[in-house]
Amino acid sequence: MSLAIIAAGIAVFTGIGAGIGIGFATGKASEAIARQPEASGKINSALLLGCALAEGTAIFGFITALLIIFVG
Amino acid sequence: MDAFKETLIEELGTRTAFTIPLFGGIPVAESVVVSWIVMAVLIVAALLLTRNLSVRSPGKVQTALESAVQFLNGFVKTNIGSHWRPFAPWLGTVALYIGFANIIGIFGLTPPTKDISVTTALALMSMLLIYGAQFRYNGLAGGLKKFAEPMPLLLPINLMEVIIRPLALCMRLFGNVLGAFIIMEMLKFIVPAILPAVFSIYFDLFDGLIQTVVFVFLTTLFTGEGIKEEE
Repeated sequence: MSLAIIAAGIAVFTGIGAGIGIGFATGKASEAIARQPEASGKINSALLLGCALAEGTAIFGFITALLIIFVG
Repeated sequence: MDAFKETLIEELGTRTAFTIPLFGGIPVAESVVVSWIVMAVLIVAALLLTRNLSVRSPGKVQTALESAVQFLNGFVKTNIGSHWRPFAPWLGTVALYIGFANIIGIFGLTPPTKDISVTTALALMSMLLIYGAQFRYNGLAGGLKKFAEPMPLLLPINLMEVIIRPLALCMRLFGNVLGAFIIMEMLKFIVPAILPAVFSIYFDLFDGLIQTVVFVFLTTLFTGEGIKEEE
């Protein structure tokens, strides 16, 4: 059981990538909006899409961790 | 700690609300019952809000509804292109259902989207919409040709996407709702008063609505990708 918990902890490390990715994307999006405020609608939708895709990795890691703890 | 773990494991499974005494008992999951509640609320709201519509003197409710529908239509139009008309009602319905299902945790009910079967069904319907539209508007040959775009080298990746897109849609919604639900249960276990109410605003309202937008937005975008004409 203790090994499984360590494995689940490692699986949740995928969150680091998602955090860095979303932070980077949001920073760039705010820069872009500051430069061209009139394009904020398009920038927002592109940001939302990118964030959703980047967040997917974190979610997969989270679900893997849950599977390890509760099923494995 | 053991009691905590037990509550978590209990929350993770899907509870059976009742059993239909037919053919040796058909179990009806809790998510189905909550889905019925969501459907009932939406149907009653639709019936009540669309009474007394008029062209000459629209009331406040009618104006609000019209601007909401117009917003939806505009959103679908910009993302799908000229064939937007048949997609808008479906996407709006899915958005309403997922939105209500996600924020129903506020009223103390279990969100149906916490059940992986519900999100799988939604993702499969999205997949049918995406690839059905691709073949409907391009013909069989044109639809198959879309898999080889933007260049034939990407064919395996495009074919893999047929599976990965619905899987990601399903897991994203399920994981987010389940994660929020587990964190809320932990909070309720540790601090039973006040604090859960504050966090509920983020985890139930904000996160639920964001996930609704993401689901509908991704479905729209993928559909548009399959049928948009080259300019």
